[in-house]
Amino acid sequence: MFELASSSIGGQALFVLPFGDIVAYFSPFTAALFLFALIFTLVCIYSRPEKSMDIVFGTDALYAKEVTGKDLHFRRFMAIACGIATMGAVTSGDVFNFTLFVSMVGVCIIGITASVKNSQVQNTAFNYGIVAMLATIPLFGAAAITLAATGTLSIWELSAMAPAMPWIARALILVGVMGEGMAPFYVAKAELTRAPGAPYVLMIHVSSLLMFLRVVEIILTV
Amino acid sequence: MMDEYAIGLIVAFVAIVITFVAAFREKNDIHRLIIADLGEVSALAVIALIATDLAEALIIPGLVVGISELLALSEIYLVREHLNRPVQQPFRIEVLDTAPTIIAVILVGYGIVLSGFTGGAVAGTGMIFYLMGKKQTERFALVETVSGYAWALWIVAFFIFMVVPEYWFFAVMLAGGAILAKVTAKMSLIGTMRGEKDV
Repeated sequence: MFELASSSIGGQALFVLPFGDIVAYFSPFTAALFLFALIFTLVCIYSRPEKSMDIVFGTDALYAKEVTGKDLHFRRFMAIACGIATMGAVTSGDVFNFTLFVSMVGVCIIGITASVKNSQVQNTAFNYGIVAMLATIPLFGAAAITLAATGTLSIWELSAMAPAMPWIARALILVGVMGEGMAPFYVAKAELTRAPGAPYVLMIHVSSLLMFLRVVEIILTV
Repeated sequence: MMDEYAIGLIVAFVAIVITFVAAFREKNDIHRLIIADLGEVSALAVIALIATDLAEALIIPGLVVGISELLALSEIYLVREHLNRPVQQPFRIEVLDTAPTIIAVILVGYGIVLSGFTGGAVAGTGMIFYLMGKKQTERFALVETVSGYAWALWIVAFFIFMVVPEYWFFAVMLAGGAILAKVTAKMSLIGTMRGEKDV
């Protein structure tokens, strides 16, 4: 059994799951984030996709875009995967695992939009993907510098010897999450205007919001 | 006097800065994709500078995430640029008509003896050679299913290590066999990648 270095992180620990010194945990804050991600994953599983309406210019006619078949299944699968990756990011008790889950969220966001057969949407997904790939550099760099400076990646250990994480690692991890969390500006805008979006586009917003909330908690704790 | 870690970190950061400048200046999409991948490699170099077993364990997931992003983006690029026509003339030389069967049998047999990741790589090389030579059409769904179950067994073996460590020998055998099947299946897919539909 792993001896917890400090009794609480961000409030009383509600639940801990120790794998060696990597301790996944729920504090009241992360439990709230987890529930939020879980609810939106269930929304993605059970709700029907929205049909976006286009107005035919000069008349009062409307036409609805259908989402059917393989496209629907793939996008739903990627949205669920994105939700699960977000849940992993908010419960992880390890800096490197957090950065890894954040990168996975980035890949899933690319996947949510990739199956849309529309060159504008694919273009924004491609450009976001370049940003997400470049953003993994500061993320992994931050984790590596933290490990080199303190000898541990566990958030419990780091919070016990706080302030332990070098300021450059904090800055880099924030920059990395900003890069990955930029998705609503790139992908979701194009999705909302060009392709039938909800509820899958909601998952893009929710995951990037939860990543920002979690990284602020990590930076303040360690 | 600076230690080796600081020198290495400075070199890696210079490489990263050069990558970022190149990524901002480059306008061609395919070049930007390659530059972003170069950046990921330099991030792996930053991790590798720690030079412990843990760093090695961190590089593999980092590499996997990087490759998955690269694959996803190149697939988007192909679809967007309509580059999905099949290759007209597959690669043919005479030795590929005669040699594959015996060499593939030898490699697969030796791979099974080796077992584990190395064995999977050896057996997979044999399968690649056979499928490239014999122009076989593979049943992708079946191979993928085998690969998926093998992966699940590998994870089960890890849980046995963590939950009931006294059955470690069974877990080692399970993990060795499963990773053999998985790597073989994955590598054999490469042998049939000649631009058919959905490959």
